[in-house]
Order: sequence, then C-alpha cells, then structure tokens
Amino acid sequence: MQTDIGKTIRLNDVIDSNDNKALFIDTSVASTLGATDGLENLAQVLQNINCICDGIIINVGQAEHNANYLGGKNRASSIVRMDWTNAYRDKEFCLPAANVKRCMISNGEDALTIGASAVIATMFLGFDDEFEAENIKDISHLSRECFPISLPVIADIRPIGPGVSESNYEDSIKLGLSFMQELGADCLIIPKCSESILRLVGNWMKVPVLVRFENIPSGEDLQLFFACGLTGIVLTEKIFTLKNYENQIIELYKTIHDKSVK
Amino acid sequence: MSLSPGKTARLNRLFNPKDGRALCVAADHGWMSDVTPNVMELERILRQVVEGGADGILISYGTALRFGHYLRGKNSPAMLIRADWMNMPRMGGSNVSNVLPVVNFRKMATSFAKDALLVGASAITIYYFIGYSDEFEVINIEQTSAFAIECRKVGLPLIIEPMAVGGMVTGVNIAEILIASARIAVEIGADALKIPYTGDVNTFRQLVEQAKVPVLVLGGAKSDVPRDALELVDEALRAGASGTVFGRNVTKAKDPKKTVADISALIHENRSINDILGEKPKRGYRLKPVPKNCTGCQICEIVCTRFHEKVYGQNKARLRIDARHALEGVPSYKQYVCTLCGKCVEVCKPNALEICEKGYLNLKTEKCNGCALCIEACPFGVIVMEKSTNLPIFCDMCEGEPECVKWCKQDALALTPLK
Repeated sequence: MQTDIGKTIRLNDVIDSNDNKALFIDTSVASTLGATDGLENLAQVLQNINCICDGIIINVGQAEHNANYLGGKNRASSIVRMDWTNAYRDKEFCLPAANVKRCMISNGEDALTIGASAVIATMFLGFDDEFEAENIKDISHLSRECFPISLPVIADIRPIGPGVSESNYEDSIKLGLSFMQELGADCLIIPKCSESILRLVGNWMKVPVLVRFENIPSGEDLQLFFACGLTGIVLTEKIFTLKNYENQIIELYKTIHDKSVK
Repeated sequence: MSLSPGKTARLNRLFNPKDGRALCVAADHGWMSDVTPNVMELERILRQVVEGGADGILISYGTALRFGHYLRGKNSPAMLIRADWMNMPRMGGSNVSNVLPVVNFRKMATSFAKDALLVGASAITIYYFIGYSDEFEVINIEQTSAFAIECRKVGLPLIIEPMAVGGMVTGVNIAEILIASARIAVEIGADALKIPYTGDVNTFRQLVEQAKVPVLVLGGAKSDVPRDALELVDEALRAGASGTVFGRNVTKAKDPKKTVADISALIHENRSINDILGEKPKRGYRLKPVPKNCTGCQICEIVCTRFHEKVYGQNKARLRIDARHALEGVPSYKQYVCTLCGKCVEVCKPNALEICEKGYLNLKTEKCNGCALCIEACPFGVIVMEKSTNLPIFCDMCEGEPECVKWCKQDALALTPLK
C-alpha cells in the first residue's frame, strides 16, 4: 500500500502512471553558465517542449516567471532545481572555475509554493571529502524537509570529480545510487553506463531510475534501458543545439511511451 | 512573465505601466563609501529627486526610517531598499578616497525582505558579485537565493545587481560575464536587474533578450559631461533596457531635480539628447574601442606614428594599448584613445586647442604656449609633448579618416558618430 499519496500524485505528474516511463528535459544549466546555445529564450523553449516530455528540470526563478508554461493536463510538470554549482564552468566559459563550489538555492516549501511537482539536487562524486560531506548534508536535509510536505526528491548522480577515473567510474555510480537511496531520494538520475550496471540498477533500486543523455538515444539503447527495468531518459541542454530538436524529442517521446503525441 | 499579485503590484509602482520604463536614483552611498557631501545632504537631495519625477529611489533601511515620508503619495517614487552591504568602494583602485581602506572584499546581508515591506518598500536590491573568486561567488549565490526565497514568500520583487569585478574580469570577457551573470541572476530569482552597461548596443541587447525581465542600466561613475551619462542610457534603451539607475550623476549634480527631469525626458518622453541639453547635433566621428577584439598587436600605434611622424615607432602614437593581466594565459588589453571629451580644450587658456567644425581636435600653433595643461587634463593620457617643437601632439582623427581604424584587422577600433 502506498501511504504517501501526496508524493505519489506529484511523482506521477512527471512519470506517466500508465506505463511508469518518463522523459525529462534539463534546462537548469543556465544557473551556472547563463544561456547556452538554444536556451536563450527559455519561455519559447518551454512552449516548444512542454507537450512532448513529462518533466522539465528548471531553476526556481524561471519556474516562477514561466509558470504559465508548466504543468496542467497533457503538459510537462516542473522539477525545480534546488542547488547551484560552478562545476560545469570549464575553459570554454568566460570565467572558468578554479575551485569547484556548490550551494542550495531553494527549499522544498519554496518549490511547493511555485507549483513544483518534484525537486532535484545533484550528488557530486569524486571531489574532496568536505565537499562530499556538505553535499550529503544538504540532500539529506532536503529529503527530510520534503517528506512532511509530500514533495518527491530526485537525486542527480554526477561522478565528475578528479577522484573519478575510468576504472572506478561505474563503482562511483553504484556508490552514489546507494547513498541517495539511503538518504530517501524518491527518484534517481544516473549518467550513461554499461549494460551490467544498468541490469544491476534495475534489480537493486526500489525507486525509479532515469539515465542522462546529451543526445537522442538510439532505439537499441532504449530497449536495453527498459529491459533492465529503468524508468526513462533525461535529455540535457545539448539537445537544444540540434536543428528541429522538437521533432527529435517528439519521436523519442513516442518511442518511450509507445504512443502518439496528443 | 508570471508573478505573484504582490510582486506584480509592487513592480507596477516602480515601472510606469504606460511604457514599462523606470528611472531610479540610487542614494545608498552613505552605506558603503566615505562620507561625501551628497551623503551629508541626503534629505535635500531626496526632496529634489522626488520633485524631479524619479520613478524609484534606492535607499538603505535607516534612510527609509528617517526620510521615507518623502516617498508617500500615489505619484511619488517607489522605495527600493538596499538589503546588503559591501566594502568594495573602500578597496584600492576605486575612484573615491578611503578614510579606512580595506583589503578583503566583504558583503553582508543586512535586512530581511519583510523589514523592507514594513517600511513600505516596493522592492529590494542586492548585489551579485562575479569574477572575484569562486569562494566569494558562492557566498553571493547563497545570499541572493535566500533573499529570493523570502521575496517569493512575501510577494516583494527582488532586483539583483550583477557586478563583474575582480582579477578574472578583463576588457575581453566583461561583456560575456555580464550577459551570463544577468541570466544566472534570473535563474536564481531576480524579478528585475540593475546592471552595468556592457559597452555596446549589440551585447547589451543580447543581455536584455536573454534575461527576459526588466533591465535597468547603471548610470556609472560620476561624469563631468552630462551628455556622456545620457548617451549611455540612450544606447541601453535602444538595446531594450527598461530604464536606468543613476547614482552619483544625480546625487552629486549641481541641480539634482533638473538632472532627474532630463533623464526622465529621455526615458519616458523619448526626447533626443540634443533636444534635452539644448545643443545642436555635432558633425564628425570619434574613436570607439572594442576591447574584446583587441589582440594587443599595436599595429594601430605603429600606423599612427607612421602617418603623423613619417617614422616607424610607437612613442609618439596618439593612442595607447596597455597589456593588463593574463587570464588563463591569455593576456587582455586596454585601449586608450581620444574620445573628444573636450577636457583639453576646456583647460587651454590661450584657446589654442579646439574641436574644429569637421569634428576633430585642431591646434592653432601660433596661440600655443606649450604650457602642457592639456596633457595633464587628458583622462586617457593620449596627448604627449613633442620636445622639438614644444607643442602637444594629439589625435586629430587623421583629419577625418583614422589610419588606426583602417589598419585594425581585428575591428578593435571603430568610429561612432559625434552627437
């Protein structure tokens, strides 16, 4: 029996209750890099995509300003990002990060006020011990804060620190999954990984797990994900650099849900 | 843009609902820098600013308690509360003297949004410093987001002021940083922005278009020439800005009421600067640096010397390119050129220097006594003395077709019409 009906209802705003599958699109990188290519006019982007995905990861300020384009029948609901980081500022950015920092920029109550169906925070792996401990503390606090207000917490696992190498990459993902499940996350996002890890994740995790992709995944990839018991796909902001990205997202959405778009 | 009723109503007090524009005056300097006459005479200045027709006045919490009553009434300016404090004006390199200079850059939140609401504010304003250090930026982000959360809760608009300062900010990357920081501020929760000008219409337009909230351009440092500040606002308005926030150019003006009325005429009545200042349009062009394109090749200095002195060299160039500092191994450059500001003409006692009808500097050699006051007056250091003749040498725009502009393959120097 599902006791937390509030969380169930809100999570099913972003994960289709008919097939338990989902397509999320992440627009939140603008909080650290400004408008990346294709994200210059977010209001227009939201109008383009809000009927062809299930959840839109968005920063709190934009969720407030663009509430008209989020949620409602047959439209994607907002997954509000709770944290900020400079970790993605590489040498291409006008101010490359010398020291990686992160902090929380909103809280569960605030997100609920602006109509969020879920909140999301990133668990970084591979940075220094203090950084990791603060990260754990913040997500733990978020998880406990969101429980009494029935707001689902999604943890976004990113093994991108200098301590992560090719040899421990997939074990880092497993570690992140374990940490976040223990902390009480209601849904998890992982980066691309091997079939063996995907199968392990599908058997092990008792919460929905989605895989982060920079481009449209192939049909074979999708078949594999769903065969492994995963819930869906998260497309990053890179998708907006493609011409006619709407058409490609529509095709992906149809494939994921095995239906035509209304 | 969808906002709560509280935010919408309060923003409408600041931005004139007829044209969506606003002229604000920042009178919060006593909160952060040394005690100057404009701080001591704040009450008189505030009264004049109100009479001049400003749409908003930015003051500290304490000033709101003392002088907030001047802002009562339907047509009075909206009260904006500065909710944080910082010590940047007291650090080295700023343009004001410092009684107690500071070494470490600090910023503190000083009021809550609910405090501002209680004194009748229509919005709060807070800084977002970017470019100083990663550690300092994350403090700024945390403070800013804490204000954003509270403002959403109580329905008070949040105006964020992104400021690109610090060793990582150069002429090359400042426009890009300002554009990114404006969007970052909006992502975090800004309902409007108060931001420095990027330096040109195109980049500022990009900033405004990506921000999608009302953008108020800063009036900048105190300018001796009223036209300079008005031109900046005029360019920003053409780029899509919703208005401006003027500080010292109003509070230190001889007649703050007239200054406010002049800026208001530009913003709300779309009057031309020449019309406002009662001046005739000038002919000719002036040089305009485009720092982001400058590679420091110094071809401009060489061609300048070649054209005027018929020799190859740089010592007698009428413009100067200084290397600033390296960012990630890439040096940046500061271009110093004659902007035809006219300060040299003003100080020339024998009236030997003039801006001629064609719109460039001209020296009547028979009148020049070699006093070198023009050299001292030049804010950019681009006038030098020719020892052999004891006459100053200066940019004469190559009598209308500057060689430096022709030769600069990077388009780091451009011509802009004199107004």
